[in-house]
Amino acid sequence: MTSDDTILLDHGAGGKASHAMFSEIILPLFHNDQLARQDDGAVCEVPAGRLAFSTDSYVVDPIFFKGGNIGDLAVNGTVNDIAMCGAHPLYISVGLIIEEGLPVKDLQKILETMARAAEKAGVKIVTGDTKVVPRGKADKIFINTSGIGIIPEGVDVSGSRAVPKDKIIISGTIADHGMAILSAREGLEFESDLKTDSAPLNHMVKSLLDAGCDIHVLRDPTRGGLGTTLNEIAAGSGVGITLFESALPVKGQVKGMCELLGFDPLYIANEGKLIAIVPEHHASRALEIIQADQFGTDAAIIGEVTDHLPGKVFLETAIGGRRLVDMLTGEQLPRIC
Amino acid sequence: MGLKYIEEFRDADLAKTLITSIRQESKIPLRLMEVCGTHTMAIFRHGIRSVLPDSITLLSGPGCPVCVTAQKDIDAFVAFSRLENVIVTTFGDLMKVPGSGTTLARQKAAGADVRIVYSVFDAVTIAKQNPEKQVVFCAVGFETTIPTIAAGILMAKAQHLDNFCIHSANKLTPPALTALMETDGVDIDGFILPGHVSVITGTDAYRPVFEAHHIPSVIAGFEPVDILQAIRMLVLQNETDRPALENAYTRAVSDQGNLKAKAVMHQVFTLCDAVWRGIGTIADSGMKLNSAYSRFDADARFNLDLPEVSEPKGCACGDILMGLKTPDTCALYKRTCTPMTPVGPCMVSSEGACAAYYKYA
Ligand code: SF4
Repeated sequence: MTSDDTILLDHGAGGKASHAMFSEIILPLFHNDQLARQDDGAVCEVPAGRLAFSTDSYVVDPIFFKGGNIGDLAVNGTVNDIAMCGAHPLYISVGLIIEEGLPVKDLQKILETMARAAEKAGVKIVTGDTKVVPRGKADKIFINTSGIGIIPEGVDVSGSRAVPKDKIIISGTIADHGMAILSAREGLEFESDLKTDSAPLNHMVKSLLDAGCDIHVLRDPTRGGLGTTLNEIAAGSGVGITLFESALPVKGQVKGMCELLGFDPLYIANEGKLIAIVPEHHASRALEIIQADQFGTDAAIIGEVTDHLPGKVFLETAIGGRRLVDMLTGEQLPRIC
Repeated sequence: MGLKYIEEFRDADLAKTLITSIRQESKIPLRLMEVCGTHTMAIFRHGIRSVLPDSITLLSGPGCPVCVTAQKDIDAFVAFSRLENVIVTTFGDLMKVPGSGTTLARQKAAGADVRIVYSVFDAVTIAKQNPEKQVVFCAVGFETTIPTIAAGILMAKAQHLDNFCIHSANKLTPPALTALMETDGVDIDGFILPGHVSVITGTDAYRPVFEAHHIPSVIAGFEPVDILQAIRMLVLQNETDRPALENAYTRAVSDQGNLKAKAVMHQVFTLCDAVWRGIGTIADSGMKLNSAYSRFDADARFNLDLPEVSEPKGCACGDILMGLKTPDTCALYKRTCTPMTPVGPCMVSSEGACAAYYKYA
């Protein structure tokens, strides 16, 4: 199998071609003991504690974009979902659904990126599956990743733990991923150097936990954006939330693009940002720790939890006005992750 | 527009100064209409209503293209999607607007070839790539969009694309304002005139309605400072009883507007009467293809025979577009009508007054 080949239905049929693809392309990249054994499932050592388990599927269009591709998006996405439970992610599974005709070099590029992302996050890809479907039955490639991680003793992070007076921290600029995907789409000739913010956030979370910060809530505001995720937290914790528009970190280019296209950055997807909700007296320490992480330099305190109108999120606008931030209704941008 | 520019007009300090002035100067209760849907959204997004004194009521006007599209036009779009070998191309906002029977979104889910485009040029490209199919573009827009649609037609002509056509539900803003002022019961003390539309039309386009009704009118941009500035000018005009047609968006709008864009528009289109949802027929307020370009007319090409229809029962979109009602006084609002299950287009369009109320109020 060489880079000039294309993926055929045979590659998903479980026969010779499947084996060739596994041993020549997949295994060398994801190399580890569990995978090399080629058993039906992976057998892994895990430390004692509570297990966090998460799954997500990726159908982003286009599959390549500035700053990454569907591969690292899929790894980082699941790593982050596990980290947001307060867990250290350990093992990941990868399911590939490939459309017949995908160039092998594209697959290689995606898998290489996945391997690198896993290494960066410190997780192992220990099991997986590949299916190939006829042309037109999928769009190039879809990826599912699932993963497990261990929650350290004494950690209790949950969307239902926000209490009035808590401070809300965002780990960096919002809406970068959604706008990067949009500008990579055909038909939208946007000249921009916007990159996806896709990144593993587990090291940042570990630093926060190691420092003994009492984190009440951790969430990564992906699809639906910051606005939707905060609404989920407000509802889950039965509290009100006030955001300060002037404190929200938004890149100039993102602001300009949203302005032109009529989007609200509060509803645009992020793939490498977290929201941490912490007690007031831990807020500045938590902010410092996040800012010290390579993916958290633009972090800021953007709001606070209140006991006013539980379940609702309000924005104090830059001009001193106040308005509701509702959940996103409908799809603002389809197939963003 | 450069980004610095945007920042400058979003300047919080300047905005706060304007708010203080408005609060001091506004005494007479005023009902001001923001004609344009983009203004409605900006006003809500920046929380402008919450900083104005109680004396000022802001009303949303007829300037949301999807909201004023007649039921029959929506039915036509749906009917095209039912034809064999036809690709319907549309702006995303139209997808969920209920026609008499169904929506374009449901048609698409059922297998019809309906594609969302960001501009008419995408639709022309689709026609070029699919020579064996007919491509219909749902032309819904005001003066901001019509010149681009005209350019799309010229492009299709230059490329000899016989498989491209449009159904025009295009509309013009100034005739709607005149119609509004002549409607019984309409009670408006001033217009915040649309910025983008005025870039094309120029200030002069509003002169007839101003001369006839002496209604305070100010053209505004879309940043908070722009909008507040326009509101302040309308307050001052009313307080001093000196109605005027003023331009608070001089960095983009001239007296004559964009002559080139207007020329392209008139090269391809000609005036016609148009049906506005909830308002009715307004003379010379629409634009249809003129005889030189009539071969791009989808209605003529497919000869649909659509029944006369009425608008959904209980939906107050028409009254809302004329400033007679606010969304929260519609009996269906938030009950049967939500953005997930919209009854009228005002709840569907991202610029619709009902959608704005639902989202931000
Ligand atoms: S709330 Fe719904 S039914 Fe009522 S006017 Fe608005 S769109 Fe029409």
